[in-house]
Amino acid sequence: MAREALSRKERGIHLLSRFAYGARPGDLDMLLEQGESGWLEEQLTPGAVEPNRALTAQLKELETLSMTAKECREFTSTELPDGASQEERRKARELRNIPKQQLMTALIRRPVERERQLEEVMSDFWRNHFNVSFTKGGQADLLISDYDRTVIRENALGSFPTMLMSSAKHPAMLHYLDNHLSRKPPTKQELANVERRVRRRTGSRERGEEAAAIASQRGLNENYARELMELHTLGVDNYYKQKDVIVLAETLTGWTFDGGRAGSQAFVFREDMHVEGDKRLLGKIIKEKDDPLQQGEAVVKMLAEHKGTAEFIAMKLVRFFVSDVPPKALVKAVAKTYRKTKGSILDLLRTIIKSDEFWARENYRTKFKTPYEFLMSALRATQADIQNDSALHRALREMGQPIYHCDDPTGYYDTAEAWLDPGVMALRWEFAIGLAANKVRGVEIAPDYYDSLPQAVPRLWQHYLTERLLPAGAGKRTRNALSTVTNEYLTKTRVADARELGPHLVGLLIGSPEFQQQ
Amino acid sequence: MKNEYKSMNFVPSTRREFLRTAGVAAGLAMSPSAFAKSLTPTPGASGKGTLVCIYLRGGADFLNMIVPYRDDDYHQARPTLSLHKEDGLVELDSKFGLHPGLSAFAPLWKAKKIAAIVATGSPHPTRSHFDAQDFMEFAAPGNRTVRNGWLNRYLAATQKKGASEFRAMAIQELLPRSLRGNYPVLAVPSSMEKRKGEKTLSRFEEFYGAGTKGAEKMKGEMMERPDEKIVESGRITIKTLRRYRELLAKGKSTVRYGNDRIGKRLQSIAKVLKAGAGLEIAGVDVGGWDDHANQGSVEGNHHTRLANLSGGIASFCEDLGEQLDKTTIVIMTEFGRTVRENGNNGTDHGHGGGMFVIGGGVRGGRIFGDWKGLGPGSLYNDRDLPVTTDFRDVMAEILHGTFGFKAPRGFFPDYKPGRINLF
Repeated sequence: MAREALSRKERGIHLLSRFAYGARPGDLDMLLEQGESGWLEEQLTPGAVEPNRALTAQLKELETLSMTAKECREFTSTELPDGASQEERRKARELRNIPKQQLMTALIRRPVERERQLEEVMSDFWRNHFNVSFTKGGQADLLISDYDRTVIRENALGSFPTMLMSSAKHPAMLHYLDNHLSRKPPTKQELANVERRVRRRTGSRERGEEAAAIASQRGLNENYARELMELHTLGVDNYYKQKDVIVLAETLTGWTFDGGRAGSQAFVFREDMHVEGDKRLLGKIIKEKDDPLQQGEAVVKMLAEHKGTAEFIAMKLVRFFVSDVPPKALVKAVAKTYRKTKGSILDLLRTIIKSDEFWARENYRTKFKTPYEFLMSALRATQADIQNDSALHRALREMGQPIYHCDDPTGYYDTAEAWLDPGVMALRWEFAIGLAANKVRGVEIAPDYYDSLPQAVPRLWQHYLTERLLPAGAGKRTRNALSTVTNEYLTKTRVADARELGPHLVGLLIGSPEFQQQ
Repeated sequence: MKNEYKSMNFVPSTRREFLRTAGVAAGLAMSPSAFAKSLTPTPGASGKGTLVCIYLRGGADFLNMIVPYRDDDYHQARPTLSLHKEDGLVELDSKFGLHPGLSAFAPLWKAKKIAAIVATGSPHPTRSHFDAQDFMEFAAPGNRTVRNGWLNRYLAATQKKGASEFRAMAIQELLPRSLRGNYPVLAVPSSMEKRKGEKTLSRFEEFYGAGTKGAEKMKGEMMERPDEKIVESGRITIKTLRRYRELLAKGKSTVRYGNDRIGKRLQSIAKVLKAGAGLEIAGVDVGGWDDHANQGSVEGNHHTRLANLSGGIASFCEDLGEQLDKTTIVIMTEFGRTVRENGNNGTDHGHGGGMFVIGGGVRGGRIFGDWKGLGPGSLYNDRDLPVTTDFRDVMAEILHGTFGFKAPRGFFPDYKPGRINLF
């Protein structure tokens, strides 16, 4: 049964839902005026200047956003004297926290306020694909800001193989998945050195032997190698076996970073940790020649070009942009584009946009928003002013999706199955009501948001606000429920005030079933 | 009947069926009544027992939990991680001892309320967390089409009209996969417990049809629309959250719990249980067990997690009092870890793991499972514990021992039952 094609307005709504974090008031009209392809071409130009200059200027004040990991470390380092007071310690901790806090601020303000929405949507996609997490502890708080800028944002609309290589060499990833610890087992000579050093230092032969025994266990850590194939490139158990995990881990031994106090906080290759020799991976021999670093690079490149990677990335993108049950033919087409363009992300997106599946009615309004998407779209639809974002991060944590805090290397899932458990809806409702009532600390909807409503006809307010927040329209149950609220208000009140009833209606609209969809 | 059971389970025959089972609403795709019609309730299910299913995510290192501390091979394989008797191990028998972090289990062991199962796990060789968890919680190793959790399948197979809306729950943001599926189960984020919040619920009642029971009347066809799944989810949220808050207000704790996350969640579960709300299953996820580095041995990260876990469970058992007789607690994880440590004071993904089963009806105070030692030739792929007990053997006996539920054929797809006589 062929279903009716999307109307021009519906197509605009669809684009703003999937390629942006929903519409702000007026966005849909502007898009329709500009035309679909004009809007898309603008979004599909990587690195173009952000038109929202006020935001750009404000984000410039967050000085650590443009710092390298080394600069972050210098910026936050304090020499605490031995008898430092509590106050001094507290200050040092606060200073240390700044790069993380400034990044967290940008992670909300950019998607809410930038015009270049697709860059933000894709950044979120890649953040989950190449997940790293502050919860890893250690130096993660000094590395992730640099990671977000140089790996994720820099490549979000660029080339997948380039992004893969840059993630593989970034300290945040090497640290998160333990590759900086992975090394070849020490030689007898090295063990003897350890033994001698500890024996001399402690004067105990037993301690020396114990230290050597511990050192003898140092060796391969498979964590990164496994996730590199399972999550970043080929997909789980696709084309590879456990023995490939081990060989890949061996190939990448020595990929670490200079994380010492005065270190560069950047990638280094340590030949002394590297397992030498030619490697046999996925049925191919990779020669070492005289350049062991180049061998690892060749392997990462080989993974980027593998047909399994093309299929896996295509599937994930189609699932993200089109449907939780990705249409097979489209996945195939996108994978083909991947192979033809060597993983050009823009071309993958173009293949999706040009497909019938993307525009099919059965895929319209059918994705359930993740908590992040829900929050971003609510803030956009209400044009909320964000002075302080900590309450927003708390809300995300309660809903189970604090950004850059996902323990699991999978990142957060983008399908409804993962988010639509009974119970979580209550958290969205609380947030919706709180936001509309200006009770989310640090976030404010301006009173004049309600001034354009026809003041003399209160019964129409719900329709105006529905058009603004749910341009795709509300179902019968939602319309009736809004009428009930309007009627109750009007019977209680002599002079209806849009600034009073308006926030009630907005809270309910954001908590409505329709607003959870995109 | 058998065929019918199998066909609805879980192997989708059409695209629509696939959408229904694999698709969106975590268990809301098919209305409960439609599901019930395709099954006959199993006779003998008492409905009086309770199961608390605790899942250690990340692949917990059971070899350092149920420790073969007299085995030289064990000490050789783990020079920095291994535990000795003088480290404060709780001796279980001539071979095994409990990690000192689990010492809160010692009284339960003496009272024969806790059983340990060694070398148990999945017949599937995957070392991926995510696949291993899926396969285990859907109880269908290697089968990617089954999307109903094993506990959800139990709930669906035994549902009756007028049953408590509190047959199952989890006090966390999202349900564990074992509870996902067609039978609606509530996830209560712990932040929802404290607040009054009733005002919020009643405001949205009309939007989500909670007052009208409208959603229950809807046909299966309608339920496939994503917006209706959201409505259904919201409706259940309102109904059960209200009831949950009533129960919490009613329940009293008789013991003190630790201040950690797991202690608090077990305390709430005990309250609901003691309030007599008909709770049959509670799911609890505990994360952070992927100890690739800095695992620690007598002290350290692994120890801290074990102490919270065992402390919380010990308080829970004491709090339940006599009700523990009808309660089973199981602790499981997706796989064990490598027998040899990896040199970063950690361990990598392995194969065979372990389980604890605790409760009044359990034949406790003993070790179950076939132990082949750690010597040359006895390891799986020369690196991991082998799996000598299929996790489904344990699941099947838990369902039977706790609820009197005998899993019909097809309940565990492609499974040949084995017995270990836990109960």
